[in-house]
Amino acid sequence: MSIRRSTRTLAHPTRLPLTGADAFLLAFDAETRRRNRANHLSQIVLRLRPGFAPDAFARVLDEVVEANPILRAPIRRRGVVGLAEYRLDLAPRAAGPVFEQHTSSAPPPGDWDAPAALPSLFSERLNELHPDGRAGLLRADAVRYADGRTDLALTWLHMLFDGWGSERFLEFLEECGSGARAPDAVPAADRPGAPPDVALPERSSERGTMAMEWQRWMNGLGALPVRSPAGPERGARQDLEIARTHLTRADSARVSQRASTLAGFLTPMIFYLGVAIRAHHAVMVKRGDVPASYVVPLPVNLRPKGSDGGIFRTRVSLLWFQVPSTCVDDLGALLAELKEQRRHAIRGGQIENGAAAMDFARYAPSRLYGTLARRPLGGELCSFFFAYTGEFCPGLTHFFGGAVEDGFGVPSVPASPGSGLVLALHAGRLGYTHVRQRDAWQPGELDVFREQLAADLLG
Amino acid sequence: VHGENALQPIHLFAYIARKMSVNGWTRERLTDLIHRILRDDLLAPQDDFSPQSNLIESGLDSLAVTQLMLAIEEATGVWTDESLLTPENLETAETLAASIYEYVARSRGRTSADPRG
Repeated sequence: MSIRRSTRTLAHPTRLPLTGADAFLLAFDAETRRRNRANHLSQIVLRLRPGFAPDAFARVLDEVVEANPILRAPIRRRGVVGLAEYRLDLAPRAAGPVFEQHTSSAPPPGDWDAPAALPSLFSERLNELHPDGRAGLLRADAVRYADGRTDLALTWLHMLFDGWGSERFLEFLEECGSGARAPDAVPAADRPGAPPDVALPERSSERGTMAMEWQRWMNGLGALPVRSPAGPERGARQDLEIARTHLTRADSARVSQRASTLAGFLTPMIFYLGVAIRAHHAVMVKRGDVPASYVVPLPVNLRPKGSDGGIFRTRVSLLWFQVPSTCVDDLGALLAELKEQRRHAIRGGQIENGAAAMDFARYAPSRLYGTLARRPLGGELCSFFFAYTGEFCPGLTHFFGGAVEDGFGVPSVPASPGSGLVLALHAGRLGYTHVRQRDAWQPGELDVFREQLAADLLG
Repeated sequence: VHGENALQPIHLFAYIARKMSVNGWTRERLTDLIHRILRDDLLAPQDDFSPQSNLIESGLDSLAVTQLMLAIEEATGVWTDESLLTPENLETAETLAASIYEYVARSRGRTSADPRG
């Protein structure tokens, strides 16, 4: 039941193996390139008050990239189906990341009490196609408004950071910029012999048994049909848009209390997941296309708890939830069902089984894994993507001279399912970022989605 | 526990004390169990991690707390009701053990913890 930790160390300092989750995400990058002519990218966005110093940011970014070659190292396999690795030794030959400054003629942004207008440039960056094999941090874009405020977005290939790592990277940059640490301080967990990562049994037969158990679990999800907002296996060009919405401090406090009461002090994500399911359900009801069930994966952070974890590479497993649509109408019953499923899955070792399955993805051809993931659900990956990430960069009040007004992660979402919802708190305010495939949603549906979300959050 | 409602209070007290002692789960042993599971299996705390250390600051999160509850269930046969997992009860291994101990005692028909625990 418990997660054991590895004693394995990295064998070669110039070759950094992808984690299982990295490889899993790399498979979806390959699928997105093949089917949707884009990459599986993520972003992190900061809205900064006047004072942001772009020149200092550019200098520190260069120094940090120089000292941390993983930020632009290409990913290569040893042989056709060999282990996928970051080739740190090839990083000096690689370009980037690019930092560009832009000036916006658009009106300065409001005070975040309404759905926030983000520079369209950011969604364009999310939809770009980069050359195969180019990994890491791709670019940073700063958009300055007439009132001196700046929106800053960092864009990377998703397996470089997960949400946790990307937030720590921002803090790392700021610490380097303020002189609190040297820019050559490579995060500890990426050094050979560094604090241990999550481990799996040494015997491959045991790992294989776990992976097969995971696949059986995944196959079982196909018993009830699923339909995402965008439909299965879209071959359309990826065209994601980003919507950002904030609640007031008073409403945020009320929602946090409600989440804690209904779902538990340490497990508020169950409340937010239930709310997200009901918001999507409302849209499907409006369409007259209610599926038999909703299937959603919940990312689980696998880093050793309470230690300094490495910033780079993704270290997550997934817990899958499946609720019949007949169970969605009553929020209390839905939350009870989600709690029970979570407990049952953890007790059954599905987090470790997922890690074992992803470990095999390191060796498998990308196309095989994409197929295995979509097959049980008739071409769907899931109903939508979801995460609740708690307090966003709690220690980050300023970033290179600009006070941090807001900050949030923008998840990578494939064109199918075409919907990803991430909630987080910042400075006492709850915000949610909805990333969606543009043509898969009608304007009226978005109103229904937002209204249901607000109604359930606030109660 | 079948039939415990039929016991007189004094007998009930003795019965629960006996059950707890048979299983070996005094409050101190429960504290020790929780501390050990957290230190050795679930968290990667500093060397000075003790039963009085703050659990949230030591890295206790949603996954770790569920795994802890499952480990406690495995050892004691008791599933801890999630309503117990309040900020106050999750402050230290000691406070968590005390709340679980009291919960077990209450669920077996008592309204307060065994003061001798």
